[in-house]
Amino acid sequence: MSQVRVPADSGYVATPEELAYEARAAENALFTASRLMIGCFAFAFAALAFAYFYLRSANSYDLWRPHSVTAPVGTGTAVMAFTAAATVLLLFGLRQLRRKDVLAFDVAGWVAVLSGLLALGLQCWELTDLPFAPATGGYTSVFIGWAVMNIIMLVSGIYWAETLLARRARLRKAITEEGGAVRGVPSGIFRLNVDSCVYFWGFIAFVAVFFWIFFYIAG
Amino acid sequence: MTLDVAPPSQMGSTGDTLPPGGVVHRRPWWMGQHMGTGLLLGIGGYALGHYLGNTIAGGYTHVGTAGENDVAIVLALLLGVVGWLAGVGALNYPLAKLAGREPVAQPDTQHWTRFFRFSVEHKTVGMQYLIAVLVFLFTGGLLAMSIRTELLSPTSHIIGPGTYISIVGEHGTVMMMMASSLVVGPLGNWLIPIMIGSRRMAFPRVEAFSFWLFSAGYFVILTALPLGGFPTGWTGYAPLQTQATVGMDSYLVGFSVIGLGMILAGFNLLVTIINYRAPGMTWSRIPVFAWSILATSALLALATPTLAVACMFGILDRTVGTAFYVNAHGGSSYLWENLFWFFGHPEVYIMALPGFGIVGEMLPVFTRKPLFAYRVAAAGMIGVALLSFFVWQHHLFQSGINPDMRPLFMLTTELISIPTGFIFLVGLGTLYKAKIRFEVPMLFALAMYFNFLIGGVTGVFVSDVPVDVTVHGSFFVLAHFHYTIMGGLVFAFFGGVYYWMPKLTGKMMNKTLGKVHFWMMFVFFNLTFFPMFLIGLLGQPRRVFEYAQGLQTLNDFSSVSAFCLGASFLVFVVNFVWSIFIAPQEAPLNPWGSLGLEWQTATPVPQHNFERIPVVLTDPYHYSEPGASPVADLAPTSFAEFAAVGAGGGGPIARGEP
Repeated sequence: MSQVRVPADSGYVATPEELAYEARAAENALFTASRLMIGCFAFAFAALAFAYFYLRSANSYDLWRPHSVTAPVGTGTAVMAFTAAATVLLLFGLRQLRRKDVLAFDVAGWVAVLSGLLALGLQCWELTDLPFAPATGGYTSVFIGWAVMNIIMLVSGIYWAETLLARRARLRKAITEEGGAVRGVPSGIFRLNVDSCVYFWGFIAFVAVFFWIFFYIAG
Repeated sequence: MTLDVAPPSQMGSTGDTLPPGGVVHRRPWWMGQHMGTGLLLGIGGYALGHYLGNTIAGGYTHVGTAGENDVAIVLALLLGVVGWLAGVGALNYPLAKLAGREPVAQPDTQHWTRFFRFSVEHKTVGMQYLIAVLVFLFTGGLLAMSIRTELLSPTSHIIGPGTYISIVGEHGTVMMMMASSLVVGPLGNWLIPIMIGSRRMAFPRVEAFSFWLFSAGYFVILTALPLGGFPTGWTGYAPLQTQATVGMDSYLVGFSVIGLGMILAGFNLLVTIINYRAPGMTWSRIPVFAWSILATSALLALATPTLAVACMFGILDRTVGTAFYVNAHGGSSYLWENLFWFFGHPEVYIMALPGFGIVGEMLPVFTRKPLFAYRVAAAGMIGVALLSFFVWQHHLFQSGINPDMRPLFMLTTELISIPTGFIFLVGLGTLYKAKIRFEVPMLFALAMYFNFLIGGVTGVFVSDVPVDVTVHGSFFVLAHFHYTIMGGLVFAFFGGVYYWMPKLTGKMMNKTLGKVHFWMMFVFFNLTFFPMFLIGLLGQPRRVFEYAQGLQTLNDFSSVSAFCLGASFLVFVVNFVWSIFIAPQEAPLNPWGSLGLEWQTATPVPQHNFERIPVVLTDPYHYSEPGASPVADLAPTSFAEFAAVGAGGGGPIARGEP
């Protein structure tokens, strides 16, 4: 049974069979983790949705939504649209990656990050420009809760996408400097990582559209 | 060519790699990032947050009127946590990753200073958790002693009512935070990879991050006392929550921080168990302790986000003036109760299930019998975990919920006793006609069954609406949950510590001191808490520092027993220090004769746990079975034929699904 010693000075010895086995485990772990992460966020947003419907149905002191206050529809729609656009771009990038068109993936990815940052910026700005006080009623409270949670989720999604793209950029540079191919094809685990990231962005977009309907359209 | 950033050669490492043949520049221990720098930056962050909060909100009218600035306190606590994390080095890689960088090499070291650093080695993290949960436990215990001291007399007081309720709240919160991680943190992180035949955790950095969040939460919750405490008890009920002084901010931020740590710990363990099982480690072969951690981790990962969101709503109410829990402004105090208990009841099973997992491991070893109905135990744990999401409303029976809803939640609560009973019967079936070896761990295991029986039966009793309405908020309920959590989990935990300490440290705990510890703890636990059932039935409410004169005898009996119970923990500390540091006695490789995979490796366990990835051949419960195959092949020449039934070969990717 042949053996390789990696890393050189750690004393750790692994057989090729073990390496392959653990590589598969790592891929599976990434797959499971991304789905579980969506589960964690789903429970958090379920709590927000519960708060929305609970306070709406309770309508304490008839103060669910006094004077039909509404958060700025234009800004909210733009946040939702930029979020959806980022998801679509990442999805497009993933498809291009599967076709080994790495440049298209890079461009789509960075534009998606930019789109996500625009959504994030607008969501923050919206909080500073609300036409109501936080304590006006149940709706206003839940809306501020939603905005904060959306910021957290957008930051998570942008971080994931950005770190993937930055990693690719750094490695491409390193390989180029070492005289390798200018444009390499990312391996399976990288593609799986991108796939998981896109899956998570799909969830972000779903949540964005869901709450956009309830805060801006059917509030 | 490939641009993969995680070459397979790194898969078996702890997550950090050394440059091949390269030199790692090591700074002296006092110059690196460690707990000291964490404390320093944590204090700095606290001061900065306080300053920012005062700058932002110092001019607000209500801040001027109340003389308290919640914005300053919340920002101080949050930036304090960020400073702590930055100081210990937990943020180095997440920030470097933004530039696409790889992890910086972390030299493998066995120096004791590793316990004060951001280590990604799962055994080190497990030991860090062990010390931390004991610090939590003893802090909560000291607070309990002060509660019992105050209750020695119905009318003469040592502390005022405000201080009393603050101490009660702090005790409950610290203990709940501790109990959530009591087993998952130390034993889960240390043992699970080895028990399932893995060389690593799925996400070592996430694991380490969860510990440093957990430890940050300890400091945050402690700040509640100097900030005036919180009057709500550990449940943090609104509207008291909204009306409380700034000590409440420590509760909300502390629970959020610990909650995030709990989510990450559960997340990591769940992914590890699903994906890093050794070849041949099928679902019907994983140890029952791993089943319990699997079920607990699912609850941690899915129920705790609700708590974090509920706490965030509370923080928003107290800082930016939203009205989630303020009825007069369109909110509802019941919203907190619902969100809190949607987390809070699964939390009960987060605390109970690992205890059953521990005793499930020990019973076959000390009875030399196979575990009775292994599959029923596993099914029971999953059943409890699932049902625990459907019972939370029984905490609101007395809160004015729609009476039509009561029977439904009474039924679901009673239903959960069925899978719990399965798990209990598995233990009794294993004990049936067994020749029991009464070693110290086994004594704790048996005591756990005795205590949990009382806690469980009274639990079914109080799930009935008429009883619940009668004893709600009384010492009866207090006695019930102490019997389940302390009588169940804490006894199982100490059993686990005595059982696995030879593997964790290579040293045997002193048997005589262990038995003294056990008998003191068992006797005085029951003498402390059983009278509380009577005190409760006689009408003494919880969280009130005065009581009827006629209940003094029972209260004094309980208090004196509690002091002796506290002393039993000192015996444990003496035993621990004596056995590990002063007069260490080398432990045999497998002192209990266990078949568990964790006992088949060397002691101390090698950094990568196993020389070769083992091939698991059977479950580890075939005691006294002539001709039973060994549990695992620790030096397989090939495991190709088993790969399909392990994790690495059996997951969704390997099946080509995505």
